[in-house]
Amino acid sequence: MRTSNRSALTVAALAAVVALVSGCGETGQGPQQSAKEGGKIICLMPKLVGIPYFEASKTGAEEAAKELKVELTYNGPTEGKAALQVEMIEQLIQRQCGAISVAANDPDALAPAMKKAKEAGIATGAWDADVKKDARDVFVNQATFEAVGKQLVDIMSKQTGEKGDFLVVTGSLTAPNQRAWLEEMKAHMADKYPDMKVAAVEPGEENLQKGIDVTRDYLKANPDTAGVFGITSVALPGAAEAVEQAGLDGKVKVTGLTTPNEMKDYIKKGTVEEFVLWNPVDLGYLAVHVAKAQLDKKLPRSGKFKAGRLGEVEVVKPDEVLLGPPIVFNKDNIGEYDF
Amino acid sequence: MSANQLRALDVLKGVRFTRELVLLCLLIVLVVVLGQMSPVFFTVGNLLNTSRFFVEVGLIALGMTLIIITGGIDLSVGAAMALVAVTVGLAHQSGVPMALALVLGLAVGLAAGLFNGLMITRLDLHPLVVTLGTFALFRGIALGVSGGGAVSSFPQWFEYFGQFYLGPVPGQLFVFIAAVTAVWLLLSRTPFGRYVYAIGNNEEAARFSGVPVRRVKVVLYTGIGVLVSMAAVIYTSRVSTSRADFGAGLELDVISAVVLGGASIYGGSGTIAGTVLGVVIIATLRNGLSLAGVETTWQVFLLGVLLIAAVFVNEFFRRREE
Repeated sequence: MRTSNRSALTVAALAAVVALVSGCGETGQGPQQSAKEGGKIICLMPKLVGIPYFEASKTGAEEAAKELKVELTYNGPTEGKAALQVEMIEQLIQRQCGAISVAANDPDALAPAMKKAKEAGIATGAWDADVKKDARDVFVNQATFEAVGKQLVDIMSKQTGEKGDFLVVTGSLTAPNQRAWLEEMKAHMADKYPDMKVAAVEPGEENLQKGIDVTRDYLKANPDTAGVFGITSVALPGAAEAVEQAGLDGKVKVTGLTTPNEMKDYIKKGTVEEFVLWNPVDLGYLAVHVAKAQLDKKLPRSGKFKAGRLGEVEVVKPDEVLLGPPIVFNKDNIGEYDF
Repeated sequence: MSANQLRALDVLKGVRFTRELVLLCLLIVLVVVLGQMSPVFFTVGNLLNTSRFFVEVGLIALGMTLIIITGGIDLSVGAAMALVAVTVGLAHQSGVPMALALVLGLAVGLAAGLFNGLMITRLDLHPLVVTLGTFALFRGIALGVSGGGAVSSFPQWFEYFGQFYLGPVPGQLFVFIAAVTAVWLLLSRTPFGRYVYAIGNNEEAARFSGVPVRRVKVVLYTGIGVLVSMAAVIYTSRVSTSRADFGAGLELDVISAVVLGGASIYGGSGTIAGTVLGVVIIATLRNGLSLAGVETTWQVFLLGVLLIAAVFVNEFFRRREE
């Protein structure tokens, strides 16, 4: 019984603290009003922090912030989860960001929080992965799903004689951008290369070892596989490593999407001949330029938009800025990139 | 000394350093320090808004406290939450009226908990093993039936569960307070609550004293299933989406809060007040550090330091109690 008496006391004390805290905070503002003043900070949120891809974007974002003399906050969750981003967006609203731009882990899950930011008078945007259209003012698109999907399939078709069964290693089965690329890849195969087929899709859960394991196991069970697509920055190095470990380099072709630094070895050895990505440094750079233009109310709704060292980029839709065509990396050009 | 003074001293002895008091002091220190680090932290708007993010973990932590007191554990709560969310989403998508979809979700959560409870008691298996299995099983079903897709076209009124405010107070805070009160009464004011402690202290002895051990356990695991369903509905409404990867890693957040709150993982001790403080401290820390602009990678580190410190403090109290 002593325990319960004590808990009763503690609950009472806790209530007292809550009352105290509420009392002290009366000068504070409600969640809706706090962002109006001050707000010239640009808050950029990646899907997650601590992976090379988004560290590269950070470099570009910081470069642009320095150039434009704006304060930049670049922070995201440590795991690629939409719920953590929702929480952080609401905190950014409290922190009085002037502009919030997110790389969304889920287009719909982030929508209520982004709408709240919009209502609070904050300039809203998305980059890398979009949120629902009505939940942001502008999307900074790195490359269209169609361009990426087609590019990947075209690269593979050259290497396998336009035929064969393929494995696709993704990050997770739920990630919207990966699902969209996959759809475009399948559509392009059906359209242009009827002898090419996606035989299986395996999630590597953005974990290098897991990516290696699923690829190796799949190739063991399906030795006729012509090639592997690794469509995330973790899945592609994993797939390349698995093919190498199984001694299948040259026989099973590998391509996909990732940052070049991790791939330099595989390109040199020839395990991977070509792969695709936009430049994430430029993407971060452009996202900050667009956010700044939003703050200054100078973002055009069509035509061209001048973004520092990138020169003119295209405003493809009233609410969409396009970075440009994806880059194809191979042994001739990979040395020029460092991210 | 007069009688009055003596009585005052007695009261002071009564409130001497309990675990909950230490946690409460920690919370006050955190609030003061974080308030210094960020001007927006110490505002009603922010503090109330923070509560929106701990209600889901908090609800499940209530059930988890009771389970941990019996010496058990439930690792399947995050997966069960995904299963409930996907059930509600898919039912709605296939034309079932929203209200009925919610009932279905509740039934699935309850069934998931009941399944855990029956496996543990009927087959006499360790809860860690059973729920490790259902952790994969529930997630697998959720991923399988949804095919990894998301459902997000919910009717307008569904937003009330996770996005409603009464003045500046988020609606789900009321649900949480009601649940805290109910579970606290259950644990500290009813025979059932004493059974829970008895099982954790010595299961054999409890059984021979006539405690219906199996029945209590089945009720606990089913109960957490219901709490998971409530959390899943609030969560789904808050983010307007149902997806099969919801709640990944949630079990660890929940267990962290309960352990920080002083419940012994060996069973036999733990309080609702402690757990609530554990939940609030973790949420406050995360919110305050974010507002102060501390990078998330360092937030995770600081949370680790806090949990390790909590282990030492709890061990200290445990030895003193012995």
